[in-house]
Amino acid sequence: MEAFDQLMIPDEQALNQITVSTTLVTNAILQNRMPAVQLLLFPGHGMSLKAHTWPVSYLEFSGEMDFRGRETEPTDPGEWEKLLTPKRLESPVKVAIVGKFSHRNSLHEEQLAAYLRGINPSLRLAQGHTWGQANFYRRSLTTYLNLAVSDLYHQFAEQLQSAVSARKIVAPISILKADGGTLPLSKIRPIESIYSGPAASIMAALTQSEATASSIIVDIGGTTTDIGLVLSGVPLLSSKGAQIGPYSTLVRSLAVRSIPVGGDSAIRATEEGFILESYRLGPAYCLGGDLPTPTDAMRYLGLIDYGSERLAEEGLASILPMERRTPEFLQELATAIIDLVAERIAGAVDSLKQAWQEEPAYKVWEVIHPHEALTFNTLVSGGGARGMSTALERRLNTPVQLGAFPEVSNALGAAMAKPTFDCTLHLDTYMKQYRVEETGEQGKWTGSLRPYREVEGFLDELAEQQAALYGIKIDDLEKESFDFFPIVQGYKTVGQIVRGAVHLRSGVIGRIRL
Amino acid sequence: MKRTGILFFPAFDWSLGDTHPEREERLLYTQEQLFEEGVLDLPQIKQYSPRVGSLHDALRAQALFPNPEAYSDSLDAHLIAAGSAILLGEARMRGDIANGFVLARPPGHHSGATVWGNRGFCTLNYEAILVNHLRARFGVKKIAIVDTDVHHGDGTQDIFYHDPNVLFISLHQDGRTIYPGTGFVNEKGGPNAWDQTVNIPLPPGTGDEGYHYVLENWVLPRLQAFAPDLIINSAGQDNHFTDPLGSMNLTANGYGRITELLKPDLAVLEGGYSIEGALPYVNLAILLALAGEDYHHVREPQKIDRSVLTLATLKPYVKELKKQQEATKPSFTTQSKAFFPKGPWIYHPHSVYYDTDGFQETRHDYIRQCNHCGGTVYIESASASSRQNSILVRIPFEACSDCEQAGYDLWDHLQHHCQDTTNGLLQNQLLDKVTVWDRKEGLREF
Repeated sequence: MEAFDQLMIPDEQALNQITVSTTLVTNAILQNRMPAVQLLLFPGHGMSLKAHTWPVSYLEFSGEMDFRGRETEPTDPGEWEKLLTPKRLESPVKVAIVGKFSHRNSLHEEQLAAYLRGINPSLRLAQGHTWGQANFYRRSLTTYLNLAVSDLYHQFAEQLQSAVSARKIVAPISILKADGGTLPLSKIRPIESIYSGPAASIMAALTQSEATASSIIVDIGGTTTDIGLVLSGVPLLSSKGAQIGPYSTLVRSLAVRSIPVGGDSAIRATEEGFILESYRLGPAYCLGGDLPTPTDAMRYLGLIDYGSERLAEEGLASILPMERRTPEFLQELATAIIDLVAERIAGAVDSLKQAWQEEPAYKVWEVIHPHEALTFNTLVSGGGARGMSTALERRLNTPVQLGAFPEVSNALGAAMAKPTFDCTLHLDTYMKQYRVEETGEQGKWTGSLRPYREVEGFLDELAEQQAALYGIKIDDLEKESFDFFPIVQGYKTVGQIVRGAVHLRSGVIGRIRL
Repeated sequence: MKRTGILFFPAFDWSLGDTHPEREERLLYTQEQLFEEGVLDLPQIKQYSPRVGSLHDALRAQALFPNPEAYSDSLDAHLIAAGSAILLGEARMRGDIANGFVLARPPGHHSGATVWGNRGFCTLNYEAILVNHLRARFGVKKIAIVDTDVHHGDGTQDIFYHDPNVLFISLHQDGRTIYPGTGFVNEKGGPNAWDQTVNIPLPPGTGDEGYHYVLENWVLPRLQAFAPDLIINSAGQDNHFTDPLGSMNLTANGYGRITELLKPDLAVLEGGYSIEGALPYVNLAILLALAGEDYHHVREPQKIDRSVLTLATLKPYVKELKKQQEATKPSFTTQSKAFFPKGPWIYHPHSVYYDTDGFQETRHDYIRQCNHCGGTVYIESASASSRQNSILVRIPFEACSDCEQAGYDLWDHLQHHCQDTTNGLLQNQLLDKVTVWDRKEGLREF
């Protein structure tokens, strides 16, 4: 709250929204500061568990579901008795239970949870089906991580809330998520708060571009540069869940490429010229550091006005052999350094664009209507922005705009971000079951075998309930068209599988004009 | 790292009819299984996105009669499957992947050298289009296609019947007991490609053990002797014991082993209509085997309740079959038309039934017997449905100058002297040019 007080807001009570972007959970995971969690799996048959690299240990039990959520092998409670160690019998151990296809049928997870709860009510249990997306491996690790960081997060949330309340501020507090959206402090699942930093810089850029513009977002820091894409006003989401340290998760995140290049990247002389290292060894030479950096090249060329001009020249000269330390060669070297940084950034931009162009398509319609070519502009922010803009303009061949308020751009992005919302329905009318991916809700379908309009209303209703639960307003929902799969048995249609979704894509509450 | 490419194109918005086996639902559960297993997260697996193939690519392998325009609305899904096979084939040729799996709908192996519509759920033949693309663009010389669908790969056989550089091996349930009723041991290739077609009709009831026995003792030695630059597996999955159309007894694990034995550069999905009982598991096993992962844990929930032929019963049967196959000697009819260039020409009349729309195609195939190349092919084709006569002239890859000239002469004759013919296609594989001729519209290049 110290940082908050430094803002010296004249009328704190008039605040109507506080959004926090925190690295708390990200750091706890990356530094492996997490309490132990027991992972219990129902892996069934299929691919060997060993095909994946598991960063945590697990125990396996029998019991199997298939892709329709039908039980193909029951659980064996006899096997569970080996779990009754003295520790599990008494202390509030954390246990994550995940079954293959549990997002289609949670029965086995619930059976084991009930068994364990009966033995020790103080156990902290988490079940995989509450992460309702496919991917047993990611679902297992996501359930594990979310449980592992929950105490840490909830402590933080409580302290934050009480500090804010102590100042008589009634504004609700939200947390920024990896997908660039916000959710109320008390509703967000802890693991969803990871990677809000890169998301915040994309959202900050969004506040500075036209509502439907397509932009390349480049945030050049000291050691890393984050690159994102905005397509017709909507930031590109990663096609897979976030990867954090050794953990593959189901957490939705913006597609951000982080490359180890920044204003302070070390530069070393080689026989052929120089290499741009992927690490930082202190500040730029012109700011009192030991090694030349891209910042020195910018300073030498007069692209930035901070740092010592003399030191910048001295630093760059150290790269050149004695006889070539002339203004002509220094100029050439400085330009080559800037161009190399631009080249690295452009490489990441190209790879992001390629990922977008090559998103898998599963329908004929999608393949014969590929993404239209968009006209991009580039928005550059961060410490190295000013010095790199001309080189990037040339290399990316797009107009380049400098981001405003680079020193507080993450705060700007967090403050302006809107809630995101997704509700994805999977309905099997023959099995009379529906599931919601985002909440893991599984329920009974009582409607018709071949629903049409009916299913639209059903999804709207689910979305409204879910939004109310999150405490957010959903006005302009984007509706995906439904996919209907007739289920046929012996040349007779006996039901349908219906898939559909509504979304509130990440966006900002307004735009700033300079 | 040895990488495995996958192109998963389930065509979720396309079907041949609401309750047709080839419908939206066919690969839905395969998607569920692959996604839930997290197979695409394996570091050695690379997913590719589908691409639309070109008509040029299609026409290089197959004649679309009466003309390509007749298919304008119905070809999209087929061209995507063809383009996808080519995409993965190119990735293999560039060395981006060590092998790949084209897991796309609809299938293609019943579609032959001349096409008048859909038959056996197939309109375009992806393996053939892929093979000819790789030969034209990458100069690949020798390719083997091993068809492990339960049905005879009659379309692929038809396309490569006269091609000495493509070895086509089809293992299938005996044609006397299943569609399309062909694929017997005496079908061994045309005059210039004798013994480059190998048909192995297996009795209903053959299971994993028997199938693997045939692969190890017949197919693999044959492959080894041919020493192809590339092996393509037409990976139909209807040998599975739950398949509603086939009567074989293979398991998902058995399919994993087939893949492990054949070591195909590319596997291309063909048929397989047990969409819940087999496909999710068989597709998973094939992909894992290609990726060098353990597939032995993959197990379908159902148990075999059909009787499986024992190896002891099957072995003598297969030995006898092989003997018959080896004993079959070439016997061709020499016959030509007055306007034909110098031959000899081998004449092979036959007909093709299009089950989807229920009509017959009548074919008169003429092949120029040649000791230097695959030989010029001249096919007169008439469809009972449209009452049109069309002609395919093919100048083969690496054609000798006599065969090349013979092709041009026939093509010239067609345009100026064949009064009863309305359409034609010149498939000039030598120069990678395809030209469509229409009596009304004249010549067009594709």
